[in-house]
Amino acid sequence: MANKRFVATKVEVEGREETRIVELPEFEPAPWTADVPMDVVGQCVPRMDALEKVTGLATFTTDVKRPGMLYAAIVRSPIANGRVKSLDLAPSLAMPGARAVLLREEVDGLRYDSGQLFDHVIRFAGQPLAAVAAESQEAANRAALAAIVQVEADAHAVTSRAALRQNAPKIRSHGNTSKHSPRVHARGDVDAAMAQADVVIRREFRTPCALHTAMEPHGAVAEWRGDMLTVWESTQGIFNTRSDLAEAFGLKLTQVRVIKEHMGGGFGAKNGAHASTYIAAALARKTGLPVRCVLDREGEQVDSGNRSSTTQRVALAARRDGTLTAIIMESEIAMGVGGWFASPAKICHELYSCPNVRTTEVFVYTNTGAMASFRAPGHVEGAFGLECSMDALARELRMDPLDLRMRNYASHDQEKDRRYSDKRLDECYRQGAQRFGWKSPLSTSSARSARLRRGKGMASISWGAGGGPPSYATVRVNQDGTAEVLTGSQDLGTGARTVFAQIAAEALGADINHVRTILGDTERLPYTGNSWGSQTTASVGPAVRMAAEDAKTRLLEAAAQILRIPAEQLEARESFVRMKGAADPTSQTPSLSFQQITEKLGDVMIIGQGSRGPNPDKTALFAFGAQFAEVEVDVETGHVRVIRLVAAHDSGRIINPRLAESQLEGGMLQGLGFALFEERVLDESLGLPLNPTMHDYKIPTMSDLPTIEAFFVPGSDTVANHTGAKGLAEPPIIGIAPAIANAVADAIGAEILELPITPWRVLAALERSR
Amino acid sequence: MTQLRLSVNDAQHELEIAGDETLLGVLRDRLSLTGAKLSCGRGECGACTVLIAQDGAPARAIYSCITLAAACDGTSVTTIEGLGRDGAHPLQQAFVAHDAVQCGYCTPGQILASLALLRENPTPTVSEIRTALSGNLCRCGTYPKIVAAVQDAARRLAVGE
Repeated sequence: MANKRFVATKVEVEGREETRIVELPEFEPAPWTADVPMDVVGQCVPRMDALEKVTGLATFTTDVKRPGMLYAAIVRSPIANGRVKSLDLAPSLAMPGARAVLLREEVDGLRYDSGQLFDHVIRFAGQPLAAVAAESQEAANRAALAAIVQVEADAHAVTSRAALRQNAPKIRSHGNTSKHSPRVHARGDVDAAMAQADVVIRREFRTPCALHTAMEPHGAVAEWRGDMLTVWESTQGIFNTRSDLAEAFGLKLTQVRVIKEHMGGGFGAKNGAHASTYIAAALARKTGLPVRCVLDREGEQVDSGNRSSTTQRVALAARRDGTLTAIIMESEIAMGVGGWFASPAKICHELYSCPNVRTTEVFVYTNTGAMASFRAPGHVEGAFGLECSMDALARELRMDPLDLRMRNYASHDQEKDRRYSDKRLDECYRQGAQRFGWKSPLSTSSARSARLRRGKGMASISWGAGGGPPSYATVRVNQDGTAEVLTGSQDLGTGARTVFAQIAAEALGADINHVRTILGDTERLPYTGNSWGSQTTASVGPAVRMAAEDAKTRLLEAAAQILRIPAEQLEARESFVRMKGAADPTSQTPSLSFQQITEKLGDVMIIGQGSRGPNPDKTALFAFGAQFAEVEVDVETGHVRVIRLVAAHDSGRIINPRLAESQLEGGMLQGLGFALFEERVLDESLGLPLNPTMHDYKIPTMSDLPTIEAFFVPGSDTVANHTGAKGLAEPPIIGIAPAIANAVADAIGAEILELPITPWRVLAALERSR
Repeated sequence: MTQLRLSVNDAQHELEIAGDETLLGVLRDRLSLTGAKLSCGRGECGACTVLIAQDGAPARAIYSCITLAAACDGTSVTTIEGLGRDGAHPLQQAFVAHDAVQCGYCTPGQILASLALLRENPTPTVSEIRTALSGNLCRCGTYPKIVAAVQDAARRLAVGE
């Protein structure tokens, strides 16, 4: 029987494995193994949109202004649980500049992460109840303030502890925990292993609710022309946003066009249509005018997603030589009123070789805004519990923490019992430790003093980052000899535009200065998936490469006809076609520039098509890393200063080392914020968020910047895909908090069990250890 | 309504404005200069940073989101659009060269805050750069690259003088 054209393949996205249909590509380019020489891939090409961004010309969603555009503002709930008794927007409409209001009965069936839009059943403080459109943002804000809202408050539960109490208020109709709760994963015989262990350690950890705090808030501009809807959206997924909108408004997918040129950060919170998107589209339909709905900072901080807070009880059992014999994690995860099940336990299933593992997760609904994916959701939380426990075990065994991790190295995927496509975590350990100077004592200048004490710590990382289909790209060679990559993907500030252009230039044999990438438009560009789960380069990159290879074949055939030389004897490099093996394009051998070829072709266009093929069967496609921290702790004030961070990462082939380094540094700094400062604080008695501003919710500033050394161990994972590249966006945030916590414990001789590591928590840890 | 005379990037403007309009609002909504961004609206993040000068005094970096436009009468404002109109300014070049840009939303503010620093202190130490720019938040975490870019721009400007 002939091979099937459409096959199923597995794709892992943020810890969840999905089965997807893929059309087998027409051809599979030869793998870019580590020894293949490269002209453009692997070079530090400057970020292609940097000039636009430094000159202020880059257009973000918040910069989009349409003729006659109205501005929306949202009326929000002042209480955490209860119901709307009455809602009077007549005073809002009477305000100067106010043009329209949008009420619950007009948005029936419009659901977003936190539930039905404008629900009169209130389940969290800040829940949208209505919206106003006006001629300016100020007028809209004032009109929203004029709304008269009468509510009836019920008792609320804003923490998992409160929501799990016997007489807790009911947050979802079926109860306060997710269906099928608890979620249990078990392998081996944990109880027997615990009973027979030489050493057992048990700890309880807490991680805070963290807020994405992207510089550009969620926002959309919506405009209708007849029954065609165009939406400019700050999104990580233009096609997801399109399907959300089509479903919500009863439209065909192709009646919706979603555009995203530049966006001011996402970090997981912008994966589809949000309340702001639906409000803009609904108000635009009602008024017949374009409407802009951009969240203000408070709206952004209370209702645009967050990283769930967790409690984790971890037990590790080991033999005297450090071999892990059992891992147990029991956790409660506070999701808010909705979201999905980001698993803190998953890292316990996969990071170390261990035959006996049991994890129990209770996902708890609370009266707060719904969680959303936040850079390595689940793993960041779980890594804190697991990797701090590993250090506790190392201390118990009087073993070096790095030696303990090496002792329990997993050489195949433990969770699903399958091979890794490639794994260089051992190299990350080796090279990271060497750069950090792990095995040598901290330098004399950093020797402990009575008050200022230094310590070092480390942690390991694994993360599914293989990407997958479907993803499509077109590469066209224009009449002027330049080339364009067309793909419906997103550049979140990651550098996707540049990376795709480099891949295309390499495969096409083009000068990188003659290649650009066009992305971010559902109407005019081929489909790709969301830019989430460290997916983009490994998903879209192979499609871009294939499209460029396809275009090159056509270009070489054209050159062959012009030069009267068989195409097999020609090659393309730096936008010239010449004889294979010729020294340089200006040498005596016949050569043609791309422009000379396209000029001869007149209006004939060279167009290459590419798609992403299936993932290999029964194979774990993972990125890895090892991170090291040195800290200084003032034991009188409890203040922690991170002196330096070193990170060694394995993400297969690196397309652009400088952009990749930028992303590592950024992820590590977000990890530093999670370790030391970031925590959404709620008033438990009122159920209200206390720090929904950028002043009170502390993200790292430039004053907090340690010395950072971040690098990749060389490699190319051509089992994963033919470009050899895997994802790298999320791994760098995973190990930083446990590495810092382990360093603080090393410095002060007392363990840190709760994040963020505020001065008072340090002082409390010191107090406990006395 | 009140009368506002404002020089923005060397162009003179006369506008009728309401008393509660912010400088950021005037720049973005009335003059279509969208380089300065609204992010926190409370003077906490620096995405709206522009330079302002009056009576020949040196330009200062300010948070335009909490600056009332009416209080800017007779001043000269420089936004990112006013920088490097005859080819990229050394700071802009250095930000590109050092990849001190990820999403780019905070970038105009970072560059203008850096410019204010370099005008006041042409040879800042790393510590002085960190302090001067600590009021300009970047959630992508480009800080290491920004420090390198500002140091490099200081060198480029010194050579240029």
